[in-house]
Amino acid sequence: MVLEATMICIDNSEWMRNGDYAPSRFQAQADAVNLICGAKTQSNPENTVGILTMAGKGVRVLVTPTSDLGKILACMHGLEIGGEMNLASGIQVAQLALKHRQNKKQQQRIIVFCGSPIKHEKKLIEMIGRKLKKNSVALDIINFGEQDDGKIEKLEALLAAVNNNDTSHIVHVPTGSSALSDVLINTPIFTGDGEGGSGFAAAAAAAAAGGLSGFDFGVDPNLDPELALALRVSMEEERARQEAAAKKATEEAAKQEKGEGQPSGTQDAMMTERANVATSEVDNKDDENALLQQALAMSMDDPDSGHETRDTDMSDAAADDPELALALQLSVQDGTKDSSSQSDLSKLLADQSFVSSILASLPGVDPNDPSVKNLLDSIQSQTESQQKNEEKEPKEDEK
Amino acid sequence: MSGDSASAIQRSQVDLVDFIDWSGVECLNQSTSHSLPNALKQGYREDDGLNLESDADEQLLIYIPFTQVIKLHSLLIKGPEEEGPKTVKLYSNKENMGFGNVNDFPPSDTAVLSPDSLKGKPIVLKYVKFQNVRSLTIFIEDNHSGSDITKVQKIALFGTTVETTDMKGLKKIEDH
Repeated sequence: MVLEATMICIDNSEWMRNGDYAPSRFQAQADAVNLICGAKTQSNPENTVGILTMAGKGVRVLVTPTSDLGKILACMHGLEIGGEMNLASGIQVAQLALKHRQNKKQQQRIIVFCGSPIKHEKKLIEMIGRKLKKNSVALDIINFGEQDDGKIEKLEALLAAVNNNDTSHIVHVPTGSSALSDVLINTPIFTGDGEGGSGFAAAAAAAAAGGLSGFDFGVDPNLDPELALALRVSMEEERARQEAAAKKATEEAAKQEKGEGQPSGTQDAMMTERANVATSEVDNKDDENALLQQALAMSMDDPDSGHETRDTDMSDAAADDPELALALQLSVQDGTKDSSSQSDLSKLLADQSFVSSILASLPGVDPNDPSVKNLLDSIQSQTESQQKNEEKEPKEDEK
Repeated sequence: MSGDSASAIQRSQVDLVDFIDWSGVECLNQSTSHSLPNALKQGYREDDGLNLESDADEQLLIYIPFTQVIKLHSLLIKGPEEEGPKTVKLYSNKENMGFGNVNDFPPSDTAVLSPDSLKGKPIVLKYVKFQNVRSLTIFIEDNHSGSDITKVQKIALFGTTVETTDMKGLKKIEDH
């Protein structure tokens, strides 16, 4: 999330016609540029990116640093290949463009794509590097394409001259292997000095891996991040539930020894009804809100039946959350309470239809199954004592 | 003259370190381990072991904004005899200067430090040029030994504040 102004220096020399990076070096470079622009603008909305070309008739600034992604992508069209790359001028012009950025608070960064041989002397390159360092400009170098004697040496010298506290990087992309963009996604150039890969990079990686359908849930996180997040969360919840259900199965054997309750049969029926009602509603987010309201209504109207559902809630809430299961076990065994876990339980106990829907959705769990009934009954005795705490604790909970 | 400046400081001039706006202070070409607060901040600057050092070459560009308008009377720079600054140029109220454009404007004042001044003797400046200072840019051009690293132990500024309204003192006028 660093506030940054970036200038990208593109190599559009004749060497870019080569096809050793599919489809051509120039095209691979253009894809990489698009990805970088997207990543920068997404990581911080106030970031600006500018582009210039280093070859052709001379160094030409295509777009000055702007946060308008459309403008940046548009200027990538219709670029012509030709001439020879002038690295020194390119970097110097980029530095000048950054100097005149509008927001002086932005950090300055130059990203150079170096795909053709460097005709400058090493000394000159180093001097340029030192000048960049003096003006606190960071530099990222992407070395691909033509590799001649001394090119790597010069670039490494440039990096050494510029580098201040590891803010500058160099990446060597060998031919063939995979696309230029794929290699870059995993580098600090994209992930921004170890701040943690942006969600953009992760999504881009997913896209690169398997096309649009490569996204986890058939939903593009870029297009609809909330839906993707909701789906991901529900998947994780389901997985956690199933894990806890397996745990519960072992606990049930121990709990079967505890009391029985006749009403539990009818309560189960009520529960499954509610479960059906609950599941008929739309999934996840809407579900929870509606369920909470149902729960509130239920707890106010019918405290007795509420007990039963709360019992199941507890088991299923526990099924939902392994940590909760642990807390449950503790409370069963000791009778001593950790108030926070109790209050969590209390909340989830109230969320009965949420639980009943979970119960219905659990594979292999039949609410009418005798072992489940026994489990419910045994928990009933615990929850009654918990409810007394629940009344005291909701005030704490609310905070 | 030296006696004069010393007494001038006692008389009405105040150490302006309290009026520095720390959020906007910048220093170009400083080494990350030896940075500007070592020379400027109270406490750090008294410690001669903590220096401000230059990085890529011997020049330093320091930008100091103030929280209110001040008049700058004198400057004190302390540094080692060899690597301490020699030529120091001061620019008043110029923002976002870079090494490229330091030579584009004439400085408000230039001070050439002798090894004597480097021991911590204040240098009186052209007071008339610094009557209305919102920000100060200090450009250290070279050092005594000519080495690639310039070291500064302490920078202190002396002057007075211009009469400005203290907003906290404003009271609401009651309606009649």
